[in-house]
Amino acid sequence: MAEVVQQDGLVLNGLTKILGGRVIIDDLHLVVNKGEMVSLLGPSGCGKTTTLRMIAGFLIPDKGDILLDGKDVTTLGPEKRPSAMVFQNYALWPHMTVFNNVAYPLKVRKMQKPEIEKRVHDALGLVNLMHHKDSRPGQISGGEQQRVALARALVQEPDILLLDEPLSNLDAKLRVKVREDIRELQRRLGITTVIVTHDQDEALSISDRIAVMNNGKIEQFSTPQELYDRPETEYVANFIGSLNHVTGGYADGQIVPGSDVVGIRPEDVHFSNEQVSGSFPATVELVVPRGHFCEVYLKRADVELRAFISANVPTAGKQGFARIGKALVYHDGKLIRVA
Amino acid sequence: MTTVKPVVVAESLEARKASRLSVLGFFMALPPMLLVICFVGAPILIAFTFSLGWTTGPNRVVSIIGQEIHKKDQWWGTFGAYKDVFHDSRFPGDLRTTLLVTLISTTLVLTMALGIGIYQRMIGGRIASIMTILTLVPLFVPVVIASWAIHTFYAGDGFMRTLMSHFGIDFPTLTSTSTAIAIGTIWTSLPFAILMVTSGLQSVPDALIETAQDAGAGFFRIIRTVLIPLALTPIVIAGTFTAIGIMGSFTIPLFLGPNQPTMLGVEISNFFGSYNRPQQSIVMAFIVFAAASGIAFIYIWANVRSAKQSGRI
Ligand SMILES: Nc1ncnc2c1ncn2[C@@H]1O[C@H](COP(=O)(O)OP(=O)(O)OP(=O)(O)O)[C@@H](O)[C@H]1O
Ligand SMILES: [Mg+2]
Repeated sequence: MAEVVQQDGLVLNGLTKILGGRVIIDDLHLVVNKGEMVSLLGPSGCGKTTTLRMIAGFLIPDKGDILLDGKDVTTLGPEKRPSAMVFQNYALWPHMTVFNNVAYPLKVRKMQKPEIEKRVHDALGLVNLMHHKDSRPGQISGGEQQRVALARALVQEPDILLLDEPLSNLDAKLRVKVREDIRELQRRLGITTVIVTHDQDEALSISDRIAVMNNGKIEQFSTPQELYDRPETEYVANFIGSLNHVTGGYADGQIVPGSDVVGIRPEDVHFSNEQVSGSFPATVELVVPRGHFCEVYLKRADVELRAFISANVPTAGKQGFARIGKALVYHDGKLIRVA
Repeated sequence: MTTVKPVVVAESLEARKASRLSVLGFFMALPPMLLVICFVGAPILIAFTFSLGWTTGPNRVVSIIGQEIHKKDQWWGTFGAYKDVFHDSRFPGDLRTTLLVTLISTTLVLTMALGIGIYQRMIGGRIASIMTILTLVPLFVPVVIASWAIHTFYAGDGFMRTLMSHFGIDFPTLTSTSTAIAIGTIWTSLPFAILMVTSGLQSVPDALIETAQDAGAGFFRIIRTVLIPLALTPIVIAGTFTAIGIMGSFTIPLFLGPNQPTMLGVEISNFFGSYNRPQQSIVMAFIVFAAASGIAFIYIWANVRSAKQSGRI
């Protein structure tokens, strides 16, 4: 315990929150290192926003502690916490110009005017919005509003930056661009960041580590690569990437009768015309183009497998041989073997 | 060629549809417009010409019955009736009472509405809800009945004096004073103002308040810099409605106010009925009308401001 308290960065220690008579967050533990970017990833209603609001101080946990750089901030109000939050809908004040929106936190801190001016200019420069400083939020685009909200959070030089689905109101292209901007800024400023998302692509592409949440608990907290390669639970495996589910066992590259669950990533299913060791006969049922690869439905006796194939895509009806490169075996939802 | 044609046809169809819609819109707006012109616009115009001494046409009968009628001596009329009013010793006191009661009551109504509204928005809870419901009660009590209730409460032999005398306190008789008018007008104006102000404050999104908290702003700064500016339009509208209502009030000053000086609503009725000086009463009505127009201007400004902010114009 004492060791944990010494930790720089953010520590959530056994957080529990009951709302409307329901346990929304259940004994949640999480350690975010200084300068790290961590995603809270999970389906709608799993408690991501609730967790973030407890970190920001809008909700006080019923149990557990929140430590920021070793200081206990559990019961501190949001105005006293060294955190800055960006809301899902940006929450810019429509009656203030972009400049005044960003300057607000500094005015609250009773900073001198020239100092405010300099810092706001720096922050707006950081997000490339100097030319809009006199516009109203209603006059700029969604992506620009999002960047203003980010500038308003960054200008506070918070110890921790909290982002609640900051990209969900942007179209797909802009989302990719802005998330890369955010990541780049976060790296450059070395600011500890917690970002909430229900988009696995987003989480995988910008996080140092990802906490996959389910029903108010963290199922797994690891790097994107490890999360993908070794999903500790069936739930995580399902949530991250695509998965073929087969009830049975797995031995020597073959699915055998059994009562466990074998999870196979479609990219680990290979198809060829020649039989090699470990492969088994299969028929191509359906081919669905997915852009840079094709989703191929293969059938072997009683099992259907999806495969992602990008070169030498077979046509439907073709007979050949399928081979499983890697399989995850789950017993009672927990990973027992990677083969 | 073949690709251009359908586009042109579609466009003219669109245009025809639009023009049909605008004609339909005009006819739908016509009945209320005619109503306003016939029953509001025309009487105002006729009354105005009468105040300037035009005593023929629709003004003929009232000119015969009324006393101290001024007839026009210039081509445009005469200011005779206006001079009468401004030289009348009762008028300055009445005007002052009217403006003062309006100002004080409106200020108090807005202060109370803001107090309750902000309490409900920022703190909320059961007490706030109960308080808001209680303040709406006057909405369901007719003004005449409310006036008499207030009368029996504050009269010389009323409840307050009787109660206080048990404790040896000589509670002042408030009936027949401007204070009683203010109490009465506040009582009747409060519900509407509270409805308007609380709904304006409630419509400020939580996230805008929470971001301010997150930025480090305290309770009063949030109220001053976020909550009130964002709800300013409904607050101003509530204020102007309240002020115009109070300025033109009649029943309350009649039942609760002093004989002299009193509010212009009562004085206008006195001049018209008791003193049989219709021309002078209309002049006073126009003075109240001018003052109310000033307030109405603030109302329009507030509406334009909110339209601008939301990008509608
Ligand atoms: N004030 C509240 N009272 C009662 N229940 C609440 C309250 N706030 C949130 N909840 C419930 O808590 C659960 C988690 O909510 P939360 O907003 O944290 O979900 P989320 O993971 O952010 O979901 P989303 O992706 O949809 O934003 C939901 O089932 C929600 O209904
Ligand atoms: Mg959420």
